[in-house]
Amino acid sequence: MVTFAAIESLSASSPEGVLLDIAAVLILLCAFACLGSKLFDRYVIYYGAQSIVLSFAAAVVALHQHDAGLWALAALTFAIKGIGIPYGTRHFLIDRFALKRDVALSTGLSSSLIFGAFLTAFAFLAIRAQTVPNGLVAEAVLPISTAVILLGALCMVVRRHTIAQLIGWLIIENGVFLGAIATVATFPFIVEAGVFLDLVAAVLIMIAFVSGLARQLAEASAPELRQLSE
Amino acid sequence: MIALALIVVLLPLLPALATPFTSRARPLGALAAASGLATLAVAVGLAIDVGGGHRVQALSGFLYLDPLSGFFLVTIAVVVALASVGSAAYLRAEEERGELRPLQVRLYFIFFAIFAAMMLASFETGNLGLLWVLIEASTLASCVLVGLEGKPVSLEAAWKYIIISSFGVTIALVGTLFLYFAASDLSGSPTQHLTWSFLFAHAHGLSAQSLRLGFLLALIGYGTKVGLAPMHTWLPDAHSEAPSPASAMLSAALLNTGMYAIIRFQALTHAQLGTQYAARILLIFGFASVLIGALFIVLRGNYKRLFAYSSVEHMGIIAIALGFGGVLGFYGALLHTLTHAIGKAVLFLTSGDIVLRYRTRLVDEVRGVLSVTPLTGAVLLLAALAVAGSPPFGLFLSEFTIVRAGLARSSIVLVAALLVLLAVVFVALVGAVADMTLGGSPERPTAGPAYAERSGRLLAAAPVLAGLALLLVLGVWIPGGLNQLIMHSIHAIS
Repeated sequence: MVTFAAIESLSASSPEGVLLDIAAVLILLCAFACLGSKLFDRYVIYYGAQSIVLSFAAAVVALHQHDAGLWALAALTFAIKGIGIPYGTRHFLIDRFALKRDVALSTGLSSSLIFGAFLTAFAFLAIRAQTVPNGLVAEAVLPISTAVILLGALCMVVRRHTIAQLIGWLIIENGVFLGAIATVATFPFIVEAGVFLDLVAAVLIMIAFVSGLARQLAEASAPELRQLSE
Repeated sequence: MIALALIVVLLPLLPALATPFTSRARPLGALAAASGLATLAVAVGLAIDVGGGHRVQALSGFLYLDPLSGFFLVTIAVVVALASVGSAAYLRAEEERGELRPLQVRLYFIFFAIFAAMMLASFETGNLGLLWVLIEASTLASCVLVGLEGKPVSLEAAWKYIIISSFGVTIALVGTLFLYFAASDLSGSPTQHLTWSFLFAHAHGLSAQSLRLGFLLALIGYGTKVGLAPMHTWLPDAHSEAPSPASAMLSAALLNTGMYAIIRFQALTHAQLGTQYAARILLIFGFASVLIGALFIVLRGNYKRLFAYSSVEHMGIIAIALGFGGVLGFYGALLHTLTHAIGKAVLFLTSGDIVLRYRTRLVDEVRGVLSVTPLTGAVLLLAALAVAGSPPFGLFLSEFTIVRAGLARSSIVLVAALLVLLAVVFVALVGAVADMTLGGSPERPTAGPAYAERSGRLLAAAPVLAGLALLLVLGVWIPGGLNQLIMHSIHAIS
């Protein structure tokens, strides 16, 4: 059985460490790309790209750890998050309701990008000094994963369209997964498989809700959802 | 024992298995009611088994039962039983009026079953990762119930619910991750590092910094599900838009599932960091929730929202009790969990009858319930008194215990603040319900009797009367077995 010591000692200068570092930076860039875009199909493309890079990062850790469960997770990530969810969202929501341009922004693109940059800086300042010893790959990857979580949350806040909120939540989830593989490899496989199952179920239910809303409202975006404000 | 533990999770799924064969509410409801009652019987059996301080662990900790799990199993099983019988009556009435299509009836019983099964299962696992998976699964199943009616308003409530609670629960996942990280210095396998009993036994070896962060994130994450302020915003919408028996399940069962997870994390924090750290955070969130609950109950408006804010308030009270700590504090918290669950189930089930009869959810459009339908009116008034904490009902006893716990800890200021807030809630909640039940004749014509047949009326009355009777009994007498179960639960987490 592989213990955490293996992943905790994965140094930043080893080949795996460098690969993980690059993957983490690409994941962060995808989150920024999503934040800076206005077209629905772009959101989905960037999310898919991010997930594929994430599955690559999981494969790198799996190679380092020689862990079959992690290989399976990398494959699942690629198939479900990288292809399945982007395809499903596109097919069932964006193409079906001919959605093009997201107009339900509460903040302009440039200011949300600047705010995103601040959040990234904050994540580095807040996490870097803490918990993780120097020289390990986790030292760089953990702040990045925190930044991805915050950027996903920012997407959910500044975008009020339900699809954009869905993608924002999925980006947060990717950030959590990245943080997990950088610090503790992952949870035991059964638990991780359960997390995946929940994710898929959640996305399916959300797609059903969004299409229900899209059928009844002209724009399925949160500003219209204000009957219940009290 | 292990067989019983599996049966209690599988039993509620029976109605879901019957949905391919029929979409009529009558047979499905009857099956749901029967399986709900059977579930309760099995859960009580399990609780008696573990009530003496006995623990069961199997499948490397994925299956784990101790007195605390037994206590929560019984509490949730009571709610499932009451809500199943209530569903049988409510869905039949909605079907007869043509409000629900066959597909919706099917979906209701399928997701009601999954919802109940996932909640019960979450008390039977000792693995904190699997606990997260099951709690998230129960949230997802309940989302479908909230959006079931398919109207824009209910879809909106369901969307708000799923997006806020998924976000919250993701934070709880990060908290679980930090706990797992905190355990990395311990010996043992990765699976054991997520197993509650192993962590509790080795709590002194957990890394303090990561544990602190883990508890805080878990409290915020699961607190979103519990409805602790300021993460409560989804709760009134979801509770008021769901069909009433589903609201009863949300308010009386689902919130407690989140609280159960928080109690498990708190126990770990206590064992390593002492009581101060967790207590302070719980008190802050607890008071914020009671305050928010009280403020919004004063506003009135929609009576189902009113009861929902009352749930925010009561979850706050439980958090405060956990914050006060000590044997009295935990005793009060657990007893309050049980009494609030029963009281709120009765209140939401009764509100279902009023929705069916008046076709409105506004306090000011409902008048004279007591003269229009004496039984529903009386139950509503009594249940509101009970939930507001009036003697001789069980909630008075549990709130009294919590106040004593605060005094034992000599936090006079906190106790005084709590009492003031409780008084505000009492006046506002009972005032609103008194207007609905006793106030003059209805301003708008009622839509006619809620249930067409006598059997439907009986079916609707049975769970609320049983619940009220239970509350009354708990107000004057705590059975020896229950007392023992609570005492052993406290022992298991301290």
